[in-house]
Amino acid sequence: MNNNENNFETLKRLMKLKQHEVPPPGYFNNFSDQVISRIRAGEGREAYSLTERLESVAPWLVHFLQIFETKPGLIGAVATSLCLLVTLGVVMGERTDKTAKNILPTAEFASAGTAAASVTASPLVVAADSGGIVASTNPVTSLQPVSTLFGQPNASLFQSASFVPASQ
Amino acid sequence: MIMPEPAPISSPDESASTLEGELVKRARRGELAAYDELVKRYQERIYATIYHMTSNHEDANDLAQEAFIKAFQALKSFKGGSTFYTWLYRIAVNKTINFLKQRKHKHHFSLNDLDFNTEHNPDLVALISEKTPHRDAGLAELQKKLNESLLKLSEPHRMVVVLHDVQGVSHDEIAEIMGCNVGTVRSRLFYARQQLQGHLSEYLQ
Repeated sequence: MNNNENNFETLKRLMKLKQHEVPPPGYFNNFSDQVISRIRAGEGREAYSLTERLESVAPWLVHFLQIFETKPGLIGAVATSLCLLVTLGVVMGERTDKTAKNILPTAEFASAGTAAASVTASPLVVAADSGGIVASTNPVTSLQPVSTLFGQPNASLFQSASFVPASQ
Repeated sequence: MIMPEPAPISSPDESASTLEGELVKRARRGELAAYDELVKRYQERIYATIYHMTSNHEDANDLAQEAFIKAFQALKSFKGGSTFYTWLYRIAVNKTINFLKQRKHKHHFSLNDLDFNTEHNPDLVALISEKTPHRDAGLAELQKKLNESLLKLSEPHRMVVVLHDVQGVSHDEIAEIMGCNVGTVRSRLFYARQQLQGHLSEYLQ
């Protein structure tokens, strides 16, 4: 190594020539003023690149993205995994819907019968028609047997109306 | 006037270091007067590094100003894990390397003048002595040849040789500035010197 260092001695001496290269006289007198006035003018707030802005907010994310730049294969693997996860989520979601429909066949049937009413009917009314099961998507109320305010069974709430013409 | 001495960029004494820390704190709060002080402290070194990389005064001027502006904007993200000047150097170095990558193959010299002391530098006088085959070659020609040779190096190799052999920055600091290990710095420096020696062989015999 020392031999190499000696070999480079002449080169290092020649490199000193670079230290003698100087900018125009008085150049540094105004340099800081120019920088400060550019900062004052708000130039520093100019739109930096997304990466630069991200770097100041979330440097970890920039490092994470840089990994992708160096390993392009990795981004493919991550993208595939994300697609699989989304597909899995959709499939699982559909299965859950089917299960819910199997649990509530009566509600559907009943609501079909009262199609016009079910559009605007409150869950309580539908519940009355379907024998106490509320055809609602709300998981809290949908499977609750509906009771009246005073704890009476809901069947007693509705009595068939009868009309007896007044005898003359 | 000689460009910044190849004095180490580190090892400021304790009081200077404390003062600098105070200036950085004030600048982070948005005090431009404090930042002005910091710019004045490092403007010559930052300019010189960029100039030696680009061999063009106008480019060096723009890049040096932009580096300081960017540093000011990014001051809030400066955690103090490294010294302020190492951090500042890193910004300038990255900016310069990015610029050079974009400018590739569009070299145009705008070399600064050599100062008055050049002719009195014993090392350089020796190089252009009677022993030198090109003794009639003027310093300006040597300067041009040297800059051409530097521009033939890749950006990382040029940066290492500029920081170490021209600016006098230590291996450890270069490693910190360039985000690589010391071994890489040493090997780059060795390779860069070998390349330069090849390009400048006629002046180095």
